[in-house]
Amino acid sequence: MFGYVRPRRDQLEEAELEAYQAAYCGLCRALGKRYGFLARFLVNYDMCFLSLLRSSVKEPAREARCWCPARVCGKKNCVLDPEGYEVPAACTVILCYEKLRDNVRDEGFFKGLPARLLRLVYHRAYGRAARRLPDFAALTARQLAALGELEAAQSPSIDAVADAFARITAACAADLEDPALRRPMEQVLYQTGRFLYLADALDDLKEDCAKGNYNPLRFRFTPENGALRPEDEAYLTQLTDSSVNLAGAALALLPLRAHEALLENIVYLGFPSVFSLVKAGKFNSRDQIRFTKEKNK
Amino acid sequence: MKDPYEVLGVSRTASDSEIKAAYRELVKKYHPDNYANNPLADLASEKMKEINEAYDSITKARAGQSAGGYQTNSQSGYQSAYQNYGSQNARNSNYAQIRSYINANQLDMAESYLNTAAERDAEWYYLKGVIAYRRGWLDEARQHYQTACAMMPGNYEYQNALRTVQGGYTPYRQTNYQNNNMDAACDICNTLLCLNCLCGGCGR
Repeated sequence: MFGYVRPRRDQLEEAELEAYQAAYCGLCRALGKRYGFLARFLVNYDMCFLSLLRSSVKEPAREARCWCPARVCGKKNCVLDPEGYEVPAACTVILCYEKLRDNVRDEGFFKGLPARLLRLVYHRAYGRAARRLPDFAALTARQLAALGELEAAQSPSIDAVADAFARITAACAADLEDPALRRPMEQVLYQTGRFLYLADALDDLKEDCAKGNYNPLRFRFTPENGALRPEDEAYLTQLTDSSVNLAGAALALLPLRAHEALLENIVYLGFPSVFSLVKAGKFNSRDQIRFTKEKNK
Repeated sequence: MKDPYEVLGVSRTASDSEIKAAYRELVKKYHPDNYANNPLADLASEKMKEINEAYDSITKARAGQSAGGYQTNSQSGYQSAYQNYGSQNARNSNYAQIRSYINANQLDMAESYLNTAAERDAEWYYLKGVIAYRRGWLDEARQHYQTACAMMPGNYEYQNALRTVQGGYTPYRQTNYQNNNMDAACDICNTLLCLNCLCGGCGR
């Protein structure tokens, strides 16, 4: 989706990087097995983080060599954990499909045509995922609708709009029964969602200002020529740093059995590094489907 | 009860000083200061209790084994810090009630009580900020904390709370992750100093 949640690779040990790649391939494989080949295209870094987080509190799963469609020949290491990756895979399908619904609603007939076609492609996969996680599917639809209303009303509260989105990411752990696991994990995911939303808002600010689209930062601060004033940018950075701190504090409370250094790397190093890139206008995401605020007025 | 060595993350053959170092590291990580006003403070407090108990039981067992071995007192100041946190400054019973709702994570209840208050003093804004902070509404929390600090400068509780949303004070981080931010380092020192004063002031 966004691709803002990623580790600082230069700060990872060899084994950690391999574990990260195996989780990414494992999610891709789980998507393919359960939701058909085309669902593999939905795999993304953000959901890889979710898979890592959810599997970190369990016994490490088996790894195997898997065939990779993005490679001409050869195999890659991937995590084989059909049960553990079931929820992240379902969340991925639901989130992407709901976002397409959003795009269809917001765009005109012709502009919305690609989204319409993609919705047809993923319709069956969505049905399957929504049957697996009915509560999550309902909540995602509800929260995106609430987000749409806040955007239409040009809400100046970055907390309120980020909250509407972050509740969705937090709900990716709502099915866990043990509160000692669920509560910290929900907090990590809530702050991650908040970070995602704010990073994306900053990334789109210039474009939104030029086109007159809604962006919470436009109404919360007073951007000049599509850029925040230095003091506002510093303020926003402190807000996202606080999210990093809260996510890190919650992460420390999880009884982690694996991936501790990797998860800490993503939260403590990945988030600030990505945000610095976004501030410098140098962030480049190669993801095809994005959660943006392209709504008119 | 869990294996105390497992709780501290040390082997059974670890030396006393190694155990002490591991204990100190964990205390730093789960220190009440890192979880001030945090919605997960109760989990952190449980974790801290577990760590203290594990350390106590190891030191007691080892002191019993070696006659004349030195006895280390568990640092009970850390345990009480969670309970003491937030009880100061509750000047009227209404605010005390609201604080107890906040500590129980009943934020909607706390907020509705708060909204009925006639007077909007520094404490009111501070509590409003704490509720927002616990919900993750950090922009709003910071605005309220700033108002509270401006209305009552010199209040350590308000200042510490403001610091948590200014990003400068970073909770525990693995040492190899420290960036070269001197400001952050100074803030940590300041906070620890403040905490030291608070603990000293608790009458122990």
